Amino acid sequence: MDYNKLLCLVSEMGYRLMESGAEIYRVEESIRRLLQAYGVAQGEVFAIPNCIIISLTSPEGEPLTQIRRMPAHGTDIYLLEQYNGLCRRLCRQAPPFDEALERMRAIQRTHRVYPLWVQLLAYFLGCGTFSLFYGGSPLDGVCGGLCGVVIGLCLTLTSRLGANLFFKTVAGGAASALAAVGLTALGLGHNLDLIIIGALMALVPGIAITNAMRDIMAGDMVAGISKGAEALLIGAAIALGTALSLGLTGLFMGG
Amino acid sequence: MDELSYYLPCLWAFLACIGFSLLFNIHGVGMFICAGGGALGWLCYLLTAPLVHSDIIQSFFAALVISAWSELMARLRKCPVTSYLLVALFPLVPGGGIYYTMEHAMSGETSLFLSSLLHTLGLAGALATGVLLVSSLMRLILISQEKRRMRREEPHGKL
Repeated sequence: MDYNKLLCLVSEMGYRLMESGAEIYRVEESIRRLLQAYGVAQGEVFAIPNCIIISLTSPEGEPLTQIRRMPAHGTDIYLLEQYNGLCRRLCRQAPPFDEALERMRAIQRTHRVYPLWVQLLAYFLGCGTFSLFYGGSPLDGVCGGLCGVVIGLCLTLTSRLGANLFFKTVAGGAASALAAVGLTALGLGHNLDLIIIGALMALVPGIAITNAMRDIMAGDMVAGISKGAEALLIGAAIALGTALSLGLTGLFMGG
Repeated sequence: MDELSYYLPCLWAFLACIGFSLLFNIHGVGMFICAGGGALGWLCYLLTAPLVHSDIIQSFFAALVISAWSELMARLRKCPVTSYLLVALFPLVPGGGIYYTMEHAMSGETSLFLSSLLHTLGLAGALATGVLLVSSLMRLILISQEKRRMRREEPHGKL
């Protein structure tokens, strides 16, 4: 068996799982199981949110290692479910490497994403109903939805420009707060705070905090701490962006 | 009529979760599982309100219910738990807390700022503890099942 190819296969699997938003323990466990399925007795894997290190020893006693650096990535549940399912099947059948890689590529080819207008509609629905959820009037809901759309446009634009997470969040928060102030000044919305809170739900790092805590409890200290830092950073970025807009509009409108 | 408006937020939570599940690229039935989880969690939050009178503990119970629901659905559909947990937890996320904390910080009211910051952190902590409790239990059960299975298979493997 070609152990170099095996290493490439398992690292590609781990990389794609993590890229679509899998938790650290899932990535490590999937790689470990894959190695077991292909009959590697001595294989180690270490993953943190932006790096995967896999090392194995071939039966001839030759150690092999591969490191994959993880770029910033979002969460794509569709891909995650597909890769997770594929990983389960690979563990059961252990097919030849080329076939396994081909199946992985097939998932990439048949990847479905919602078009931009559906995503913007989703921002409208999600953020608008959150404004209602927190006790806003129907008009506040509409305003919250519009601010959500502004966040969606802002995030898409800054992602295309290649901005980092912190800047994206500050920009999103600032743009939505600005839109909210504008809409209330026009008399469309009544409760500025409820509109902004609803729209901000598109940015809050809720699951990042939960995942960070879970990683720390599971003993993955480095992963947990770096994710926790990320969550705090995003929280601060939201507050900063919103405060920026509210402060500036307060200055100009004498509020 | 009052009763209805008390439970109305569950409907909003359901719709909001549908919206956010689209953003995380969830297709098909998964969308409704997420949204159902979100609505169920909020229902639990509202139902426990007369019993405990503390939104942190209410959040904790709601997180327990959502987590159990997501684990159950993930086992049934053989999908990662994150898929459902990620979106279903959204209504419990203290978005309001972050906003009011920021507002108090801006207006320079230090004591209000600190108390709302601590409250927000408390809510986030309750959420994480609830999820952790269920997922740790689930993992314990799974590991013990696997060990039992391996012990049963071991005599054949060693031959």
